[in-house]
Amino acid sequence: MPETENPSREKILARIRTALREPAPHHEPVKAGPIFAPVTDLLDRFQKECGINITEFVAVPNLHVSASAIKEILAALPPGEIFVQDSPDLRELAAEWQDGRTIQWSSEGGPKESAQATISACEALVAQTGSVLVSAACGGRGASVVAPVHIVVATINQLLPDIDAALARVQERGTVAQNSFLCLITGSSRTADIEKILVMGAHGPRRLIVVLAMS
Amino acid sequence: MSSAAQEFLRSAALKSADLTHRQIIRRGIDQYSAANDKGRSRFADWEAARQRCHEIKWEALNNLDRYLLEFENRVKERGGHVFWAEDSAEACRYITELAVSRGVRKMVKSKSMVAEEIHLSPALEKAGIQAIETDLGEYIVQLRNEPPYHIVTPAMHLTRKDIADLFKEKLGDVDTDDPVELVAVARRALRRDFFSAEMGISGANFLVADAGMIALTTNEGNGRLCTSVPRIHVALAGIEKVIPRLQDLALFWPVLATAGTGQPITCYNTLIGGPRKPNEVDGPEEFHVVLLDNGRTELLADVEQRDVLHCIRCGACLNVCPVFRTVGGHTYGTTYPGPIGSVLTPHLRGIDEFHHLSYASSLCGACTDACPVKIDLHHHLLENRRNAVNHSARPWAERMGFKIWQWTMQSASRFRILGGLARMTLRITHSLGLDGTALDPMGPWSKNHAAPRVPEKSFRALWGKNNAGN
Repeated sequence: MPETENPSREKILARIRTALREPAPHHEPVKAGPIFAPVTDLLDRFQKECGINITEFVAVPNLHVSASAIKEILAALPPGEIFVQDSPDLRELAAEWQDGRTIQWSSEGGPKESAQATISACEALVAQTGSVLVSAACGGRGASVVAPVHIVVATINQLLPDIDAALARVQERGTVAQNSFLCLITGSSRTADIEKILVMGAHGPRRLIVVLAMS
Repeated sequence: MSSAAQEFLRSAALKSADLTHRQIIRRGIDQYSAANDKGRSRFADWEAARQRCHEIKWEALNNLDRYLLEFENRVKERGGHVFWAEDSAEACRYITELAVSRGVRKMVKSKSMVAEEIHLSPALEKAGIQAIETDLGEYIVQLRNEPPYHIVTPAMHLTRKDIADLFKEKLGDVDTDDPVELVAVARRALRRDFFSAEMGISGANFLVADAGMIALTTNEGNGRLCTSVPRIHVALAGIEKVIPRLQDLALFWPVLATAGTGQPITCYNTLIGGPRKPNEVDGPEEFHVVLLDNGRTELLADVEQRDVLHCIRCGACLNVCPVFRTVGGHTYGTTYPGPIGSVLTPHLRGIDEFHHLSYASSLCGACTDACPVKIDLHHHLLENRRNAVNHSARPWAERMGFKIWQWTMQSASRFRILGGLARMTLRITHSLGLDGTALDPMGPWSKNHAAPRVPEKSFRALWGKNNAGN
């Protein structure tokens, strides 16, 4: 694609530089303590925060057992296809929960509107806010927003104390550079635009479920 | 008086007397206040958070050219386009031409105050392109053909019944005023649009320089669908939105949520840089960022008020403002209402037309205390008053009045004589029964206030009498 023509770029930059010739007054930084209290018991905090932000949390002893947890969740959903991130781990698990369900793998394209649920991995879990950090590599952009239910399969070593640590991890590992999309997800889609009344499932999932393998 | 000022006064008189309106707003804001108190208590040190946000924004704004260029380079490396728009017209033209050249007929929009500022939707419609708001609140006010009432909660002035009636009229087949049902109605209607639109428009809460990504905060997920499903994504942002580092978001995300709604953190904090990569599952084929100046560089040149550009559009100053709560968001007649709008609008749209907003304040300073990036809002209102007086010639009577006042105040005897004259005049007009008529010198005051009776003796006379022996 051709370079974008930018007739005003130099003009705006010149105006910025002229404006900045005069420095703005700067107050000496006030000495202050830590902004957030350090997160100590990660699992306890994560669980508590999930309760606050309305994320369903299921702990399982290992990745293998998470298949039966997924099976149980899917059993309660209406019939229809399930969108799954195409990864070796999730392929292996799928054999155990599939039970006649149609699976659409992320390698075949983004989720369709008809998908009943999506299943993906994540880049990190954040104890401070009970959040899930995903990237485009976790089944794409639509994986966490199109279907009414999003199931995240994670392992305990992905649980980090705070947002700061999660952002540091994805930057160090090159995830930020390698992906066009990342999202810190906290709870499922919601709105309070009508009389400030909280309604779940505005445009995205009504349910967010984290299945956490403890080993 | 400018026509905008006359309209402000007319609307303020109406709205402040509309008790139903005041009740709706009070209820909404009371809920916000409770959530916000709780949210702030999650911080070990909220004041330290504000201070740090202020410092990061200071660093970004005072090195704006450097960080914008870093952002631009990184976005281009990711295969995105960056367009610099000097004003509204140029930004609208770029987006409209892009849409026309790509055969776009329908566009889905996630909430963007900058899009409101440049009047993007009317420009698109003129080119035959349908632009659909997808944030529920924005969708509602768009159906009503109204501007957003509030930066964060655009439809906070409406009851569920208003919204139910609106949906019944515009969408048909709605027979409920249950918020859950109403949200489901909007969800169904908008899903069709998400999957048939060719272009998605979003704002950006932050432009992250070192990552070359935009950061987009949304609760509903509409912003995510707008930027995932259509084949082109255009992000529109003011140049002041840049922050130096991705790591800064570890602070800004919780602060924005707390100040905006009282949540510990917003549901979806998305980072987007560039179009879909070849190995990725989905996402747009094209990614454009439009960087808007539209008067911001002039504000940058004003060192006294440069920090106004720190604003993260959280709406906290609106919620705490006694004037906003009384006159409501639409009375301002501006894209940005409330204290931040009163400070910003004279800069963006001209001080002659909008300096009256500098007086839409009790100068109580609640806005300054609430601001999470520590903008000195109420002092900036005072500075705008001063600037307005210096900027244009004041009416002859006003200048004369202040000359006489100055001359009087400079001498004790002149003060005594003129004070005596004023008391005498007021006693005479009162005894002639002229109170409240065109001849009452106190008329403009007593129209809205009970005028106090003029005392028999001046303070000076009383003091002299009572302390005669001392």
